[in-house]
Amino acid sequence: MTPPEFKEQPLLLDVRNLTIRLNSAAGLVHAVEDVSFVLREGQTLGIVGESGSGKSVMARSLMNLLPRRSVAQRQGCVVLSGREISALSERELQKLRGAQVAMIFQDPMTALNPVLTICVQVSEPLQQHLGLSKQAARQRTIELLDAVGIPDAANRVDQYPHQLSGGMRQRVVIAIAMACDPALLIADEPTTALDVTVQKQILDLLSRQQTQRRMGMLLITHDLGVVASRADIIAVMYAGRLVELAPATTLFGAMRHPYTEALFNSIPRISDPGHTRLHAIPGRPPQLHNPSPGCAFAPRCQYAQQRCHRETPPVVVAESSIVSAKPTEHLHACFFPVAKSASGEAN
Amino acid sequence: MSDKPGQHTPLQLRERDDIVLRIEHLSVNFRVGKQTVQAVSDLSLDVARGETLGLVGESGCGKSTVGRAIMQLPPPTAGKVLFKGQDLGLLSGEALRQTRTALQMIFQDPISSLNPRRKVKDIVAEGLQIWGRPGQQARVREVMEAVGLDPDAVADRRPHQFSGGQCQRICIARSLALDPDVLICDEPVSALDVSVQAQILNLLEDMKQRYQLTMVFVAHNLAVVRNVSDRVAVMYLGKLCEIGDTGSVYARPAHPYTRALLASIPDMNPLSRHQQDGLPLLHGDLPSPANPPSGCRFRTRCPNAQALCAEKEPLMQVVRQTEQNEPQSKATGVVSDHFVACHFPL
Repeated sequence: MTPPEFKEQPLLLDVRNLTIRLNSAAGLVHAVEDVSFVLREGQTLGIVGESGSGKSVMARSLMNLLPRRSVAQRQGCVVLSGREISALSERELQKLRGAQVAMIFQDPMTALNPVLTICVQVSEPLQQHLGLSKQAARQRTIELLDAVGIPDAANRVDQYPHQLSGGMRQRVVIAIAMACDPALLIADEPTTALDVTVQKQILDLLSRQQTQRRMGMLLITHDLGVVASRADIIAVMYAGRLVELAPATTLFGAMRHPYTEALFNSIPRISDPGHTRLHAIPGRPPQLHNPSPGCAFAPRCQYAQQRCHRETPPVVVAESSIVSAKPTEHLHACFFPVAKSASGEAN
Repeated sequence: MSDKPGQHTPLQLRERDDIVLRIEHLSVNFRVGKQTVQAVSDLSLDVARGETLGLVGESGCGKSTVGRAIMQLPPPTAGKVLFKGQDLGLLSGEALRQTRTALQMIFQDPISSLNPRRKVKDIVAEGLQIWGRPGQQARVREVMEAVGLDPDAVADRRPHQFSGGQCQRICIARSLALDPDVLICDEPVSALDVSVQAQILNLLEDMKQRYQLTMVFVAHNLAVVRNVSDRVAVMYLGKLCEIGDTGSVYARPAHPYTRALLASIPDMNPLSRHQQDGLPLLHGDLPSPANPPSGCRFRTRCPNAQALCAEKEPLMQVVRQTEQNEPQSKATGVVSDHFVACHFPL
């Protein structure tokens, strides 16, 4: 359940109607379409989607990290701690990056510079943003490495990335992200390149750091299992759109969007007996250039009706939560949401 | 096996008539610069006809190397690979080529394992052409239909026109064209999207039934392995830690490493979030396989390690079910099919 104190927490990030179109050889890619969500301080928002669902493009665009030439269109607003940041100049954004908003990327091998020592890379934001001296930054670096669980930090600090394992490198990346005590951490598939045992270590580390620092976190992943037990709120993306958003417990209790349900059912469970037939989703995710009208999931959806192929369903509040006291809890974008009588009388 | 204690036969090898693949004391060494890395060390296991053996472990544990060593790619440094009783290591070039048609592989990245310049029909037919098999066109159509590709629509296209899932279907069709006995799948679904992964897993299961395949399924995803395997083998740093019936290994892991692996799987239940931190967690990283720890290789990360673990390498032993006795070497019966290499099994 969402801990009640979140309700009183101030808004950290407010994304409204974010739309991003990218240039590509094949035409305009509708990478992100009309995505809105809010994140409160200390909260974790898990964003789940398959490759090509627009989740990484969305995350990168928050800090304006997409290559400028490839962005054809960008609409909507991003408000960070009450300040509209989508129109900021590059110089002003640079002050935010690393200081207030930190990012962790999927591949710890390529996120670090191979020719610089760990010390140089971790102390860079400390010197840049906090104005620490070289000496003080080094001291702080050792403390940070210690805090993220790197053994023998005082000696490791002068090593190069290639001398560390994948898990250790991801810890260094986390140390860099934590360096300036950011208010918001964007973790884009932070554990996808790692083994399960290391994945658990890193996820535990992230939750610990988050609780200590009362950081807000966007946890982007393709793995429903990763967000199930780590996120307070889960947003599911498909073909650039937000199709469902709800607190983790609500979502897993009653999925409303057919895609969420299908994704959940297609995952093999450890608790199922061997050779259990999986409920595969037929077809494959759509191409994002020249999207056809209607719901993007309709061609693969077992509940799709005529209307789904013609109109794009808007994001609406799930009916059950209108009745309950907290009306904005559960959102979905479907004309015929599941988990209610199949007659489709929702409209 | 337990009948002949004097012999050097590893305990986990079964004496049955329907053993298709039997690996004895397999070791594979690689030279990396001046060092020698033991990717696989003294590993023995077997696979019976129609069985799927899941091979799991973290990256770098040697599971893919085992799959390749079965195909003699490269030939193992030591030990034997017996296919239907025949030692593949003793076969010379041409005989090996002949025999190997019965063993096929599919790989992790379906796109890079297809030649981008060839048409799908030529890719699938290549094995048939090499061996001059009769009825090639009909066979190509048949396997393409079996894997869910429409031969009329796709035969003349090239791999770049397909998605990852479709490419994996092409790879599976290619591997089935020569009617193999054994299919070795090296991480066949880990490069695919979750929604496509289920399609391919279901397809492999169907193909196994339709063509009576025996499968070796190498993967790091424990839930996927649980779904496809009859038996599962857990590897750590080139060594076999635990092997046995999938249900038994997952329900009652006897090796601390297996338990830690299972505990690391993210739980799909959001209510379990508060329990997660209490579970036993592995500390540290995989040691270097060039310089593995003495005794039990897992001891440096094992929560139960004692002095003995550093001195003596643990041998395979039977995991005793509640009140069952030694397993009998009878072929079928419900005997304990669960072995562990640990001095202090759980």
